[in-house]
Amino acid sequence: MTDTMFGSENEQWVCPNDRQLMLRAKLHTGWSIHTFQSERQRKAQALEKRELDLIMSVIHRAEQLELIEQHRIGRLVERLDNMRSSAMGNGLSQCLLCGEVFGLLGSSSVLCLDCCMKVCTKCGIETTAGGQKRTQWLCKICSEQREVWKRSGAWFYKALPKHIRPIKDSILDNRKPVIERGEQLPVARSAPISYTWAQSRVYLSESDGSDAELSECSSDRKTFASETNQRRDSESSGGQVQTPQSSFTSPTRGNVHIESPSSLVSEQSSSSSFNPGLEDEVIDHSRTLLTPPALSRAGSLRSSSTSQKSEGPQADANRDEDDLDQAFGATALVASKKEEEPDVEGYDSDDSTTLGTLDFSLLYDQENNALHCTINKAKLPVPRYKKGLKPMDHNGLSDPYVKLHLLPGASKANKLRTKTLRNTLNPVWSETLTYYGITDEDMVRKTLRISVCDEDKFRHNEFIGETRIPLKKLKPNQTKNFSNCLEKQLPIDKTDDKSLEERGRIMISLKYSSQKSGLVVGIIRCAHLAAMDANGFSDPYVKTYLKPDENKKSKHKTAVKKKTLNPEFNEEFFYEIKYADLSKKTLEVTVWDYDIGKSNDFIGGVSLGINASGERLKHWFDCLKNKDKKIERWHTLTNELPGSGYND
Amino acid sequence: MAKADQRFGQRDGSDQNFDYMFKLLIIGNSSVGKTSFLFRYADDSFSSSFVSTVGIDFKVKTVYRNDKRVKLQIWDTAGQERYRTITTAYYRGAMGFILMYDITNEESYNAVQDWATQIKTYSWDNAQVILVGNKCDMDEERVVPFEKGKHLADQLGFEYYEASAKENINVRQVFERLVDIICVKMSERVDVEPPMVTGAKTTRLTDKPPQLPQNCC
Repeated sequence: MTDTMFGSENEQWVCPNDRQLMLRAKLHTGWSIHTFQSERQRKAQALEKRELDLIMSVIHRAEQLELIEQHRIGRLVERLDNMRSSAMGNGLSQCLLCGEVFGLLGSSSVLCLDCCMKVCTKCGIETTAGGQKRTQWLCKICSEQREVWKRSGAWFYKALPKHIRPIKDSILDNRKPVIERGEQLPVARSAPISYTWAQSRVYLSESDGSDAELSECSSDRKTFASETNQRRDSESSGGQVQTPQSSFTSPTRGNVHIESPSSLVSEQSSSSSFNPGLEDEVIDHSRTLLTPPALSRAGSLRSSSTSQKSEGPQADANRDEDDLDQAFGATALVASKKEEEPDVEGYDSDDSTTLGTLDFSLLYDQENNALHCTINKAKLPVPRYKKGLKPMDHNGLSDPYVKLHLLPGASKANKLRTKTLRNTLNPVWSETLTYYGITDEDMVRKTLRISVCDEDKFRHNEFIGETRIPLKKLKPNQTKNFSNCLEKQLPIDKTDDKSLEERGRIMISLKYSSQKSGLVVGIIRCAHLAAMDANGFSDPYVKTYLKPDENKKSKHKTAVKKKTLNPEFNEEFFYEIKYADLSKKTLEVTVWDYDIGKSNDFIGGVSLGINASGERLKHWFDCLKNKDKKIERWHTLTNELPGSGYND
Repeated sequence: MAKADQRFGQRDGSDQNFDYMFKLLIIGNSSVGKTSFLFRYADDSFSSSFVSTVGIDFKVKTVYRNDKRVKLQIWDTAGQERYRTITTAYYRGAMGFILMYDITNEESYNAVQDWATQIKTYSWDNAQVILVGNKCDMDEERVVPFEKGKHLADQLGFEYYEASAKENINVRQVFERLVDIICVKMSERVDVEPPMVTGAKTTRLTDKPPQLPQNCC
């Protein structure tokens, strides 16, 4: 390895400049390669075993993080390749992506800046790059290409870094049932057949700038939907038979970068446990991310699963993909079903119908007050085989997505949503959604509701099924995997939007500074604010008051953060006040949505002081008890205005 | 400590919900406060006792910046000479550097030029650097004036901050500024100089030497 490294250096040889020579003089490395090598070996021997062990443990962590990153970049590359293979036009007389013919009766065309191909205005994205006055267009493939270069770091390393692409799917008919649950890789191989094509469609949808544009695009596609779907299915099948060559190759320099740190230390270490450790890490990584689905077929287990309280992941190892067998099993279990709640959606409900299963994992990061929800995949019912069910789509397939709410107090403020996957009953999202500002108190009181819905462009989105997890089931800092059956929608107390309790969260820091003889209030950030604007966002800013305030001098305002529901303010305000007087005061913090030309909208507020309760009172007391100590806490914003008579 | 770090890395490593990944590196003489600076930013904690870093260490932090989620992998290096071979191996992967000295230590300030030379030697040409004078809360023991540090940063073409890991002064601002200038460089590379379709499919190993202003000597 040493010779290889020096060989690599020789390939990069240039005449050293004066600065390099000066550096070598100061580093006392001498002037010849041989001497340099000897010097390195002497330094290597100087490190003790304890130090080497410490360094090796850091390298293990880095290798693990690097592997996860390689998988992430691999998924980005996979999606980009799928977009390319989904292109149908020739880019001259037809749109490059959707194949629409240009001309007098056709749509207008624009020229892509990067690939110089023609696309329709719906398959292109307007951009004003480089401060040019003239508007430029990019096709969605080239726009996605630029995004991949940003997200993967290729913009910096001047080539795509090393990555691991998703494992190719085996076709549906040849799929074998998985017998050994311990074998993780076959589970990955048995991903649904429509995964790659659905991913491509998702990214096409994501490239759209707005929902209206998306609706128009879909409207055009509907005119020749059957032909399009048929052709894409053929293309998708073809793609599976022959593995497409990756259009990116790992650069030599990238390999040197990735390998040299660990190999460098491996040379110095007499321990041979490096590679087995890495294998263990890979296995752990696979086990964490790939949850094998378990479909319960026992009558008692099924009845138990469909009750209101959700059970843990099922231990049943059987995975039966046969739809007919599943229908037969469902029919046989009619008698053992319990009485269901009245269906609020008005379905012609069949008691024996299963609503599908959902695989996900939850992790409560106690230190960062974050709840990570990883939505892996689902297995949804086939509508046309079930008697009495409304078909989700005319073609018998669904466009499923998952949305999360925290109960009680479900609102737009705490709603998270996955991507929509097109035309599949076995969607694989592999997506992590994160709630921030989740306190230990929330983990005791709150329930996470996970709903699977079918997105429909022309009608209201259809509900498929849901499951609920009381958060007190989770242990902090431990990932828990679930494979739950979906249930009908349970009724919740409907309240008017204005009377909703929760409007998001805010992280506030308090510190009484003896040196300055005053209170330092830090507005750090907000999370999951309610959306006040039509575009689904807000333009939030925060105001703080220290009350009572005779002269109204205690008003402070942060800067306005444009178009976000998770702003970071990181601003501090100082209130000059004696320590003895501080206990009589109340700090009022309000979050507003800034609107040009109109009165600003109130988003939420919180009060800290003697009259507060719960976490807010505790925060206030901790500030009083601990002088000169900065204390950060998350607080829930509510819709009640602290005080009265507010006008911005 | 190692066990806690392991869990910390595991927790953050599993987070896939981010837009960009930036790798940052903190370098400088031993005992200027590199590890304390990183702990203040990542964990908001400070320890007065000095424990010399063994080789390398890193922490992961995800921040919101310009409506994007940026995941930072921040590497902490040992400033001692005997670890130099190990620490320089990580220069190549770093997109941003924090070059740190101690305002109460003239020797650490004089070494900034050598550290800048190492950045130029071992890192990519488009890496961004911020020069940080740490321990600015110890003004009574100051030996390097602000103007002197600012002047050196201007000569080297770096941004400049004075900070205090102990008093949490300018710690977040340094990292946020580094993220901002990396984002600007990223937009320049991708949006202003877009890669050609054919160019994107070939491996380009060009490594232009960095165009830092020459310091007369």
